[in-house]
Amino acid sequence: MISVSRGSRREFLKRTALGAAGTLMAPSIVRAAPRALTMMHESSFIPPFDAFFKNKLAAAYEKATGVKVNYDIVSVGGLLTRVTTAAENGTGPDMSTVGFNWAYLFDEKLIDVSDIAEEIGKDSGGWYDNAKEAVVVNGKWKAIPYANIGQLMNWRTDWFKEAGYEKFPDTWDELLEAGIKLKKNGHPFGFELGHGFGDNHGWLYPLLWSYGGREVEADGKTIVIDSDETARAVDYCRRLYKETMLEDCLAWTDVSNNKAFLSEQISCTNNAESILWAAKKDFPEMAKVIDQSQNPKGPKGRFHMLNPQAHAIFAHTPDKQVAKDFLRWLMKPEQLGPWYDIAVTYYQPFLHKYDDAAMWKVEPRNIPFRDATASAHLPGWPAPLSRAQSETIAKYVVIDMFAKACTGKSTKDVIAEAKAQLQQIYKTA
Amino acid sequence: MTAPSLAPALSYRRPAFSLGRWFEQPNVFSWLMVTPPVLFLAALVGYPFFYGIWLSLMNRPVASEGTFIGFANYVQAWHDPVFWQVVLNTFVYTAVATLLKMFGGLGLALVMNQDFRFKNLTRALLLLPFIVPTVLSTIAWQWILDPAFSIVNWTLVALNLVTPPGPSWLGNPHLAMGSLIVVNVWRGLPFYAITLLAGLQTISPELYEAATIDGATTWDRFRFVTLPLMKPVIFIVTMFSVIFTFADFQLIYVLTHGGPANATQVFATYAFDIAMTGGQFGQGAAIALTMVPPLALLILAMALYLRPDKTT
Repeated sequence: MISVSRGSRREFLKRTALGAAGTLMAPSIVRAAPRALTMMHESSFIPPFDAFFKNKLAAAYEKATGVKVNYDIVSVGGLLTRVTTAAENGTGPDMSTVGFNWAYLFDEKLIDVSDIAEEIGKDSGGWYDNAKEAVVVNGKWKAIPYANIGQLMNWRTDWFKEAGYEKFPDTWDELLEAGIKLKKNGHPFGFELGHGFGDNHGWLYPLLWSYGGREVEADGKTIVIDSDETARAVDYCRRLYKETMLEDCLAWTDVSNNKAFLSEQISCTNNAESILWAAKKDFPEMAKVIDQSQNPKGPKGRFHMLNPQAHAIFAHTPDKQVAKDFLRWLMKPEQLGPWYDIAVTYYQPFLHKYDDAAMWKVEPRNIPFRDATASAHLPGWPAPLSRAQSETIAKYVVIDMFAKACTGKSTKDVIAEAKAQLQQIYKTA
Repeated sequence: MTAPSLAPALSYRRPAFSLGRWFEQPNVFSWLMVTPPVLFLAALVGYPFFYGIWLSLMNRPVASEGTFIGFANYVQAWHDPVFWQVVLNTFVYTAVATLLKMFGGLGLALVMNQDFRFKNLTRALLLLPFIVPTVLSTIAWQWILDPAFSIVNWTLVALNLVTPPGPSWLGNPHLAMGSLIVVNVWRGLPFYAITLLAGLQTISPELYEAATIDGATTWDRFRFVTLPLMKPVIFIVTMFSVIFTFADFQLIYVLTHGGPANATQVFATYAFDIAMTGGQFGQGAAIALTMVPPLALLILAMALYLRPDKTT
């Protein structure tokens, strides 16, 4: 049992009380100081990226303007909950990173930043079209996109070569063929099919789209998941799983494929740049035989997953102009350029000015990430932003359609179930 | 003010008002004692509970005003195929895990009640799974259940029982539920065992002596002395366990997040995903609240079945 002496207990109580008082007073202090801002970010996979904001950017801005910018880091996976809390209660940070369709979800709680967005676009070579797909709500920019974290194919060049492949397969069919050979050689594939946040959507939506399947039409009402195109994508996925992958992929969450790739369990997966990044740091020999490629193409083209990161200003921010000025300053090439550089290309810009930036020359194997940005879309595409989109993701409708097929259910049944769920979600039943 | 002449007579019959005495009156004192916990419960349990009920009757997307829609969220859940899978999963998970914990815990408590060397140390170590924060121990289990790193698979492969990499404990839908139950039992067993052990120690040795003199065997002593006296403790601990297991979240969220293909999705994880990831507070609340009636029924049934016999 833990014994606490009287003295130390009193000390503990005193410290707790002081701590609690401090916490209670903190927000009021921030509020009282007229020129201080808080920016909330999810902890970056690239730690120098966070450090650069805190130590360099925030310091430089304070020196130039006197406005202190606090950088509030949220653990991975926790940002949506924090944004929800801030938006619902109307307190907390002044600005935050928002992803996916959050600009739409929190529309009423975020301010219009169209003026800055247009200015930035003009200054920096124009926006990628799909940047708007995530943040423009009813014709208004509700956040300023600063990067896409693309999801691409990560593969082992040495093992592919062993199986007779110098280049990464260009089509899904060729990928299946390669996977069968590689699995025979003891190097299976591993793609996430479980309930994670990113690496499952990262390849399953592009697979669906590249076969011509989609959940809903551009009108956001007509459910079209039940199609021959979807059936072909599902059949393909079942084969890819059974003939090339580890059984465990069905349970995988986002860390699983990184772990499996770096421990040499698998020869190919779909992931952000984090595998190569980690290998360079911890397994330099392995890093030499890793490459990254765009997703294979299907009968209807080549697609990628849009994973937008954007800065939004909460409507509860007391001094909105101060926050807007800061975002305008942050997005200027003098600030944004070095910030991108520090993370090499883990964050892919949505502004054409950076298409040939120096950071792309540091690691040529990252170039496919730049080239993939234009063909990336959000889950739910081509329908406009909606709440139904979030519900579909939360219920893993599309992911589980594929996963159930992999566990042996018939294509017809899994599509019928997905259709029933989508009809309920889009309220069209 | 009353006339001074009357004062002595009055104070004689009825002493001047004293706050101390007033407090000591049973009906005042009892209310005084009960009020703080009632307020506490009302604020921390009652308010969220009723707010939850209110939310479940609304179409209330995140960050926007809600509209009252009556029971539409419940109707939607009724027609949602995943919801029924969630119901089934939750019942299987709770029933199997609780039964295993009940029998395992009772067995463990009976063993711990014997005299042996390092008894106290063993009892203390027994609590370890219960003390370690769930998320931490679950991450350890994540490694144990990962075929590539699993000590279980390594052993099975080394013994030539399976071909590498061995079973996928979380990737196979049936094994996944089994694995989660094992982890839940591992975590919950100490709570059962220690509570039952405390119960066992209150049974007077004289009862056993008397039974032995009457010719009772070990089984008889367990059946006719231990078990009837332990009934109230077993009831309480099972009730707690059912509630905890039914509403389990952390373990499942960390290990499978409800996957593969919803094979391990339970009420708490499904409601959380819909409310937080999906931004549909109303629907999430409705799904979470459907836990309440079956749980209440279950507890009522148990209370009737395990009611301590008044005659003994």
